[in-house]
Amino acid sequence: MIKSKILCFSFFAVLSFSSKLLADAPGYVYQVIAENLEHPWGIAVLDNNDLLVTELSGQLRLIKNGTLVDRPIEGVPEVLFAGQGGLSGIVIDPNYSENKKIYLAFSSPDAQKQTNTLEVISASFNETALTDVTTIFRASPSRKTAAHYGARMVFLDDGTLLITSGDGFNYREKAQYLDNHFGKIIRINTDGSIPEDNPFTNNPDFRSEIWSYGHRNPQGIVIKDGVVFAHEHGPMGGDEINLIEPGKNFGWPAITFGKDYIGALISPFTEKDGMEQPLKYWVPSIAPSGMTYYDRDLFPFWKGSLFISALVPGDVRRLTLEENAVVGEEIIFSDLGRVRDIATSKDGSILLATDGSNGKLIRVRPN
Amino acid sequence: MLKISVHLTIAVFIATALVILQTTASNLIWLSSLDMPVSLQVGLTTYFNDLITMNYLNALTVPRLQTTVPFFALIAVALFIAFFFARVGLNWIRISKRLAYSLAGGAAIIGIVILMPLEFYNLDLLPGARTFLGKMSLGACGMVSGFYFGSSLKERKSQ
Repeated sequence: MIKSKILCFSFFAVLSFSSKLLADAPGYVYQVIAENLEHPWGIAVLDNNDLLVTELSGQLRLIKNGTLVDRPIEGVPEVLFAGQGGLSGIVIDPNYSENKKIYLAFSSPDAQKQTNTLEVISASFNETALTDVTTIFRASPSRKTAAHYGARMVFLDDGTLLITSGDGFNYREKAQYLDNHFGKIIRINTDGSIPEDNPFTNNPDFRSEIWSYGHRNPQGIVIKDGVVFAHEHGPMGGDEINLIEPGKNFGWPAITFGKDYIGALISPFTEKDGMEQPLKYWVPSIAPSGMTYYDRDLFPFWKGSLFISALVPGDVRRLTLEENAVVGEEIIFSDLGRVRDIATSKDGSILLATDGSNGKLIRVRPN
Repeated sequence: MLKISVHLTIAVFIATALVILQTTASNLIWLSSLDMPVSLQVGLTTYFNDLITMNYLNALTVPRLQTTVPFFALIAVALFIAFFFARVGLNWIRISKRLAYSLAGGAAIIGIVILMPLEFYNLDLLPGARTFLGKMSLGACGMVSGFYFGSSLKERKSQ
């Protein structure tokens, strides 16, 4: 009898708690801003209704006053559109309102077209074309593969630029060595010069642009209160979100929670002294593709969360944080298919880019 | 016929086991170069894990066929084709069966190593196949398998 009462009480307590959560969770509606985008990859917010979207196939598209401008932006450099390569990351300068500078990351064919590499350019944007296009970073050495570029960017508070650089798939072991840019997070100034306080500037054998290493294919990077969070694709399982600090080794491929695509163990180890542990990892993979930190008031319940767009099975993961530790995960927007990127608009609405040759740009607002 | 089928199955098993051994070894050798604690026990555990997981029915996704196959099936198909051509070739060329099937076995695995990236976005899925030496050692795995199969067949009497 007592057992039954306890069970009954527990049931109603759980039910009441769940109802409270559901009541607090915001309702939302989707508004399609643009359709028929060719593999949309990166979103940059210029203003509430003015956005820039990169298409992997090489076009830079402008959404002006909420409407997609038919003509792509001119002056975009040639990209290698193959495999996972193409026009990828985009970020606007912190002083964009004054200098109109934007930054693009893409896979760039070398002169002989036998190899390619991750390139980052700065350019002035005048709403129809890019001018003053300047290469500020080229990953070295080049690769033969068209996979794992990373290619997301974010500005630190000091005005330096962080760039994620993937391991190129076939070159994964190089992520553990500091004489190359595979599997690294790079920090440079906006003119391409190297900040003097980068962690590996003292050794001539090391690439001075390196800020952290041991990454696989990081495709999401954000700053929250000065703290850098980045997520990266694992192989089969082992996607990670990490708290990035300069000079730290994040372990790939020496330690990993994932397996190779042929089923083999890449490493039997998941930890080692001197290698950082992820804040959270996913097995099986969710294929994290983009990230935004939500610090606006339009969805008060979601304020302070990290939102991660995911390709598999296709949804968004909202991570709740306590003192920079991940303490909760909620799956939302799971009815859109593969979500390639996510951003926060200035008015607090959430922007999503769906993946594929008929990609959409979608705004999420409270209903 | 039954005897040949048994020897063919054993040849597939030998090639699969050796290719997986090469995969495991290439991963562990690199890890030990980073001072990771790779012991004999870790090596054996990893190898047996790889033997099992690489041969799951869904181990390998073939994008073009939108299907999954176990690794041994891939090797079996390659060896069947190579051994068939070796058998046909032996009607025309007078060399020992051991040599013919060894070459065929080596060609089968090299074929997998070269053709797999074409199916998988030019990526080498076998980590041990990313260097020339790695490719050659995988070919040697196929040769051992072919050598076994060729040895199991009776040599024709010289005329």
